[in-house]
Amino acid sequence: MNWLVGLWQWVDKRLPVQRAWDTHMAKYYAPKNFNFWYFFGVLSLLVLVNQLVTGIWLTMSYNPSSEGAFASVEYIMRDVDFGWLLRYMHSTGASAFFIVVYLHMFRGMMYGSYKAPRELVWIFGMTIYLVLMAEAFMGYVLPWGQMSYWGAQVIVSLFGAIPGIGEDLVQWIRGDYLISGITLNRFFALHVVALPIVLLALVVMHILALHEVGSNNPDGVEIKKNKDENGIPRDGVPFHPFYTVHDLVGITVFLFAFCFIMFFMPEMGGFFLEYANFEEANNLKTPLHIAPVWYFTPFYAVLRAVTMPIELGPMILTAKFLGFIAMAAAIAILFVLPWLDRSKVKSMRYRGHIPRVMLIAFAAMFVILGYLGVKAPTEGRTLLSQIATAFYFAYFVTMPVWTTTSPEKAKSKVSWALCGLFAVVFTWMGFEYVGGEVPLLLLIICFLLAAIFAVMPILAARDKDLVEPTRTQSKGLPTLVVLAGLALFIILAVVPIKAVASEGAFNCGAVPCDHMEPDLTDKESLQRGAKYFVNYCMGCHSAKYSRFERVADDLDIPHDLMEKNLIFGDQRIGQLMEIAMKPQQSKVWFGVVPPDLTLVARARSPEWIYTYLRNFYKDETRPWGVNNRVFPNVGMPHVLIGQQGLLECGAGPKINHHGGALRNDVGQVEMDEHCGALKEGKVKGSMSAAEFDVAVYDLVNFLEYLAEPIAVKRQAIGYYVLGFLIILFIFVYFLNREFWREIH
Amino acid sequence: MSNDAVNQTRRRVLIGATCAVGAVGVVGAAVPFVGSWNPSARAKAAGAPVKYNISKIEPGAMVTVEWRGKPVFIVRRTQAALDSLKKVEEQGVLLDAGSNEPQQPDYAKNAERAINKEFAILLGVCTHLGCAPAFRPDVGAADLGGDKWQGGFFCPCHGSKYDLAGRVYVAVPAPLNLEVPPHRYESEFVVVIGEDQGA
Repeated sequence: MNWLVGLWQWVDKRLPVQRAWDTHMAKYYAPKNFNFWYFFGVLSLLVLVNQLVTGIWLTMSYNPSSEGAFASVEYIMRDVDFGWLLRYMHSTGASAFFIVVYLHMFRGMMYGSYKAPRELVWIFGMTIYLVLMAEAFMGYVLPWGQMSYWGAQVIVSLFGAIPGIGEDLVQWIRGDYLISGITLNRFFALHVVALPIVLLALVVMHILALHEVGSNNPDGVEIKKNKDENGIPRDGVPFHPFYTVHDLVGITVFLFAFCFIMFFMPEMGGFFLEYANFEEANNLKTPLHIAPVWYFTPFYAVLRAVTMPIELGPMILTAKFLGFIAMAAAIAILFVLPWLDRSKVKSMRYRGHIPRVMLIAFAAMFVILGYLGVKAPTEGRTLLSQIATAFYFAYFVTMPVWTTTSPEKAKSKVSWALCGLFAVVFTWMGFEYVGGEVPLLLLIICFLLAAIFAVMPILAARDKDLVEPTRTQSKGLPTLVVLAGLALFIILAVVPIKAVASEGAFNCGAVPCDHMEPDLTDKESLQRGAKYFVNYCMGCHSAKYSRFERVADDLDIPHDLMEKNLIFGDQRIGQLMEIAMKPQQSKVWFGVVPPDLTLVARARSPEWIYTYLRNFYKDETRPWGVNNRVFPNVGMPHVLIGQQGLLECGAGPKINHHGGALRNDVGQVEMDEHCGALKEGKVKGSMSAAEFDVAVYDLVNFLEYLAEPIAVKRQAIGYYVLGFLIILFIFVYFLNREFWREIH
Repeated sequence: MSNDAVNQTRRRVLIGATCAVGAVGVVGAAVPFVGSWNPSARAKAAGAPVKYNISKIEPGAMVTVEWRGKPVFIVRRTQAALDSLKKVEEQGVLLDAGSNEPQQPDYAKNAERAINKEFAILLGVCTHLGCAPAFRPDVGAADLGGDKWQGGFFCPCHGSKYDLAGRVYVAVPAPLNLEVPPHRYESEFVVVIGEDQGA
């Protein structure tokens, strides 16, 4: 042991290891009343490490070329041992990063952590957020799916709104006349090398700046102002060990939620991994509905909310340009927050009523904007996004009015002008939509906001901050207060969303989807499905990201049987499931190249395919004599005609937007004479309708397996991981309690 | 028990136990990172066993088959070639004449280092530094020791010599006999390289 001590001293004399440890951990005194909200800083660090490590591992198998990118991601998902896990860790981590960062930022706004002397901490943090958005955007391009491609197209085109240099700038960013492999390559370099370095440097600055001035806390008290005889803050505890064991509890709970999503719902309902991104990028075909990933949608909604051009004499500022400006301003204005807030009090606990209500309303509006950014615009949604956008800016611009400590300043001419401006904006927006197809509630909200801002200076002059304590008080507020705040937030966020939520279209074309639940443990169904797939689909469709061998192994099909019955031509069992038909030929025959079906069940949905395959009907006007109710005018012939026969259009009930029969005023079912239902026609199939449904079920079940062969194993591993985390939680919980039992 | 006195034993036990559980977690989390470096399904498919029909090989000739990206030499040995193995042994110039080093599967550990002695199946990778040796069946080649040379393999990189069963000569840089890859006969003339002969 002696030589170890010697070595340690030798190093420490030459490198300030001990000093650094003391400065940042063992003798860094943090306020002892950190609550739930203070976990998100360390959690974002944890996610950053996760992103760096999994990212490095992903680059080992990823191919940053337009030809190979999409296939290499599927190679990672299927062929690389544990590649699927590394990829899901990275994709789930990306969204988790923004969740924790948004909550971390909200914490800062709630407790005034941006106020003096922590302005630089806030500015470094905002810069991290900005770089993170660039990093996430470029990362999302790399899988080279449809959403990657068209998302890049839209975001890069934004720069085209800049007058004069716009188009040249866009071309410079792309390095090509369209988003292409060249663009992909430079985004890859930025995503994996340049931006991570910047990000790491900024994180170091953020923490150094924080540790220089010390941490804020829920009471907004400066603990350094009250030190004991040894110069140690009376309300502080050393970060290590107290907050290391404390953070372990938060980390374990976070990991539980993270792993639950990663192992059981990695797509998170299309929010973390968008369904359209399971289709390879195609520069000639835009997906029907494109939306950015959820963490960009608040700003995307701001962009879309601007629909009016402004004419300034001879110069016209287009709505496109103004939208771009609004979006940029929405992010930029966050940087100056420390100087907009005029209050002497930091924490919302000791603020007046207006700042507290405004903060909750602001959070609700941000969520509303996020929701609207995901959805296709309607008139009602456009109004709501305009209200929310106006409020977003009003919150910051009028902040000096309702945070000032002097009633005179609150009622100054500038205050009246600032608040009056937004009162006018809300009034004008409301009148624009009076008589339009928008919910009445939105108009009420709009005029209510106009009224509130009209009298804001008077309200602000009466509102007073409370007296700030000199010592830290408690971790949390009384449960009732917390719940009331949460309830207000939920009402403010959910009610306007509900008002514009109605959806019209079906998920399956002209009809609602039929119910179909895949069962990936039913090996016999999957084997039959594989047989149908090879015999009826693989004549024209490839499954070129999957290997025959994997299918055989997963479905318990012996290799010799597989080779004899399910592999045609001279393909070997280890090969990818490619087909002999050349894309050029099929383009001539069908008008379009039959898409690869490896991922179709993830890009569409099992229910969609199930409904689609059963809804072909006779239509002599089409090249193949058949049409489809789910996919009108599809280029595909009715391949399963021998089994199903050829159905024909017949009368059936019209369908309302809930999927039920549409009834007229006297309660009778309205009939659609053209194609309300499909009837058996002259051409009969070899299967009964029930048998055919089972056959299609098997086929779709197989496609669902094929889209994600690891799904069953993923969940099985997930149970073990969650079980382990529960055990770990018990230990860290008691460890934390052990250390904190003497802190009061 | 007083609240003020820290119970050191309890604290140490808790720290130790939590560290132990945490260590299990770290090891578990390392599994995917370590595991992903194994050959992928694509690499395994590319390195899958190779079938070859050896009936077409002329007596005395050699063909090269690619398996896992490496050359596999298949030599159809004539009776004279088989006889030469004995002669080389008698010259006493072989380092490991009895094939004692594990450079071949057990089913090929015999005088001819083969399942079917007519066919020598050898990995064409010199055991010195990995060059591919040249096939030199010409008995008595002047550059390879004249009359003493009974035919075999000669590595041009550093001059290592092997006989027609891939056994290495003494006084050359290569330390081991050429490797016999795992292989089995599916039928009389169809050999599968990369799969072991079943029991």
